[in-house]
Amino acid sequence: MSSSWVVLAFCCLGQLCAGNSLKPQIAAPQLATNNPTLTTVALEKPFCMFDSSLHPNKSYVIYLYAMKETASAISSLVTDNSGKPLDSTFHQTSGGQLGPYKAALFDVPNCASPPKLADVGDVNKVSDVLKQYLFRVGDDGTCLYDPNFLAVCNPPLAPDTTYRFKYVLLDSTEGIMKAQTLWSDPIKTRRVKIPLKIDTWPGRRSGDMIVITSILSVLVFLLLAGFLASVGSKDSSAETRCMSQTIQQSEPRPQLSSE
Amino acid sequence: MAKSGDGIRILQGLLVFGNVVIGMCGIALTAECIFFVSDPHGLYPLLEATENDDIYAAAWIGIFVGFALFALSILGIVGVIKSNRTLLLVYIILMLITYAFEMASCITAATQRDFLTPNLFLKQMLERYNKSDTDNNNDKWMAEGVTKTWDELMLQKHCCGVRGPSDWQEYTSTFRSSHKDADFPWPRNCCVMDAQGSPVNLDGCKLGVPGYYNSNGCYDAISGPMNTQAWGVAWFGFAILCWTFFVLLGTMFYWSRIEY
Repeated sequence: MSSSWVVLAFCCLGQLCAGNSLKPQIAAPQLATNNPTLTTVALEKPFCMFDSSLHPNKSYVIYLYAMKETASAISSLVTDNSGKPLDSTFHQTSGGQLGPYKAALFDVPNCASPPKLADVGDVNKVSDVLKQYLFRVGDDGTCLYDPNFLAVCNPPLAPDTTYRFKYVLLDSTEGIMKAQTLWSDPIKTRRVKIPLKIDTWPGRRSGDMIVITSILSVLVFLLLAGFLASVGSKDSSAETRCMSQTIQQSEPRPQLSSE
Repeated sequence: MAKSGDGIRILQGLLVFGNVVIGMCGIALTAECIFFVSDPHGLYPLLEATENDDIYAAAWIGIFVGFALFALSILGIVGVIKSNRTLLLVYIILMLITYAFEMASCITAATQRDFLTPNLFLKQMLERYNKSDTDNNNDKWMAEGVTKTWDELMLQKHCCGVRGPSDWQEYTSTFRSSHKDADFPWPRNCCVMDAQGSPVNLDGCKLGVPGYYNSNGCYDAISGPMNTQAWGVAWFGFAILCWTFFVLLGTMFYWSRIEY
């Protein structure tokens, strides 16, 4: 009995949280560490966001709209007057600059059994988990230039640009919007630096180099001094020996300083 | 008189011992430098492309000096035993020249170690990895060497970039200009590979899911062996020089004491 209360409380809490986060969220940073990149943004799929609007026996689909933050001044509407969602493409809105464009459509994610993020360590499950859990905006590098591509194109975003995203719930038989999230918080794509500016100067000298250089200088100085001294002493000792010999041989004669 | 004769004998014995040690150290230095020059870790292309491969120059000098020390130690032993003045004079002069060369090698190796900063390799990696529009043959050759070395390094050492995979994201590079960020946030060799040599999970690698990409940088794999070897050349050379210093002083003293 008590356990069901706990479950109920948990559900209410979940609803509250969901109510607070009725915006597209960026994918969990501990899962996707490389996010956002230069031209892509990985978003968490809208788990349980549209539960209140879902009726059984009807089929739904979710549209993802993206626009540059600057476009919100022009138009942030994603439906026309009759409640039908816009069909504008990346190309028509010049990359989201003139208004929202449709970046993707996918099925409503399963609220009852969301993918377990812990399963991502399992090599066999990881691609399923990633596919169910997140959507990568800007993933398709080729569709923009492919004349045969007819589905929703999701081309790379612009670097160093702030984007906003919105999920829209659509009744797929009527083609009418049933619910929508708020526009997400601004998400900025990464900006790159130029390698030319990297400073490769080593900075301070290491202690090794100073020790080795100074000690070796002293040693080589001492060696040369010793060499000169030994040569000098040899000469002088030879000189004195010669002198003593000459003195012994011819004592009366005066010394020859030239020797 | 007998006392000083004993003293000379002892000095002779010490000098012979000193020269034996010098000879053995010389052989060891040659061996060490040959090992360094033979580039067992395959990192030479990276140094070459920085146009600052003086560490290798130091090692080449070390080879020559090691052998010279070995040969001179034999000369020294003969000279000391025979008490031949001319022989010993030649020994001292040649030893001083060798000493100067070994000093050059030692100081170069110690100095150049400081230059192996992460930024040096980072800049070079960004500018040369996968460079296709090269200016001339030399440039092309270096770019190929750098690309090949990095590919092998990242694959074998399970690392990515110099400091980490984010190097490829934070900077523009020649790799980025030819490879789209959406498909190649970093080179494929940064992904964790399976036995067949293809990424375990490509999407996981692109998104940076832990366990599917190599999150650590390669700087340690580069600078580790390089630093150790340069450290060896520098400090072993220094130790030999210190030892040689005393032997040379002793020889000079001995030389100035022997009779014609």
